[in-house]
Amino acid sequence: MESSSQPSCFNCTFRPDRIFCDMPTEALQAFDAVKSQVTCEKGAVLFAEGRPSRGIYVLCDGRAKLSICSENGKRLMLRIAGPGEVLGLGASMSGTPYEVTAELLDQSQVVFVRRKDLLKFLRDHRDACMMVVQMLSQDLHAAYERVRSIGLTRTRRPRLIRPRVAS
Amino acid sequence: MLSPYGLDIIESCLACKMRADHIFCDLPTAALQSFEQIKYATAYPKGAVLFVEGQAPRGIFVLCKGRVKLSICSTDGKTLILKIAEAGEVLGLSASVSGKPYELTAETIDPCQINFVKREDFLRFLRDHSDACLRVAEQLSEKYNTACREIRSLGLSHSAAEKLAKLLIEWSNRNGESAKAEPRLKLALTHEEIAQMIGTSRETVTRLFAELKKRQIVQSKGSTLVIRNKAALKALATV
Repeated sequence: MESSSQPSCFNCTFRPDRIFCDMPTEALQAFDAVKSQVTCEKGAVLFAEGRPSRGIYVLCDGRAKLSICSENGKRLMLRIAGPGEVLGLGASMSGTPYEVTAELLDQSQVVFVRRKDLLKFLRDHRDACMMVVQMLSQDLHAAYERVRSIGLTRTRRPRLIRPRVAS
Repeated sequence: MLSPYGLDIIESCLACKMRADHIFCDLPTAALQSFEQIKYATAYPKGAVLFVEGQAPRGIFVLCKGRVKLSICSTDGKTLILKIAEAGEVLGLSASVSGKPYELTAETIDPCQINFVKREDFLRFLRDHSDACLRVAEQLSEKYNTACREIRSLGLSHSAAEKLAKLLIEWSNRNGESAKAEPRLKLALTHEEIAQMIGTSRETVTRLFAELKKRQIVQSKGSTLVIRNKAALKALATV
């Protein structure tokens, strides 16, 4: 569902609020040249866990559900990604299969950048590269938080309920 | 040079022979030269704590030789081992980049040689060398991958038996033994540590190993474990 005219990131009103999108002019021009913007329906799967990584997806608006799956089909929700987030970044940087599944919760504008183009873009633009490193460390922090909450809670009761302190 | 802990200390990264095998270290000469100036080559004994979860980030630790245990801890003192880091890995990376406290505790399990780089120096180094920056991104995504795997195994497995079977299969894959009919692997960890890796108790791990041996699925010879029945182990892992 590729739209015929490619809207430029320069005209985007959200841009100053977004960590990744707020790049210097020069970098933004280069980014505009390699990106392709599409509108995706609600429920569309941007990428599935285990598939070879093609590139990154930047959510312009809308939300996406990130989940992982076991061999027998059980699914675990990781988190909901919001507008401005970059999805599939880790897998694209290392060239490994996508580690999560991303499914859109709303009809969304999505910007796609192919892996090869992304790597070249990052090599040319140091600021963007630093930004990517920052975002990856944030993803990692969130993942470790999740490991902690899953792995170190022994109780079978809902994990949100904490024992009350006796008054 | 007389080296401590039986390690063969390599003072200069430029002369290091292992460099080509390590993703992060295999930098272009210019970047390597400036890395050389900001790093401190150090040696640690077994059981040394490099950094503790919650501490403000001081910098990164490049593991040249030896193994390091990465764990997280709950407020009531339970420990979960995330990974055993091996030579070539960079530790404390995401905390140093983002400036948030270290999210893990790193403790050496062998005598280790480690190159330490201060946080400010490292950030400046990354800004100047885009190659290194890409390497760092690669390392971070690898760690993210491991964390996702850990979440999957902890969050989606039913039983401790399933998790132990998965761990054994993963280890035998890593040693390149998976193609053999009876893969062997060296158990470098204690039952206590294995329990902390899969989030269960030491007693359960011991009981599970005894069960696996009784059912002739595995056999132990000293610290070497032989997987006698690969199919049965795989079946356990995918219950």
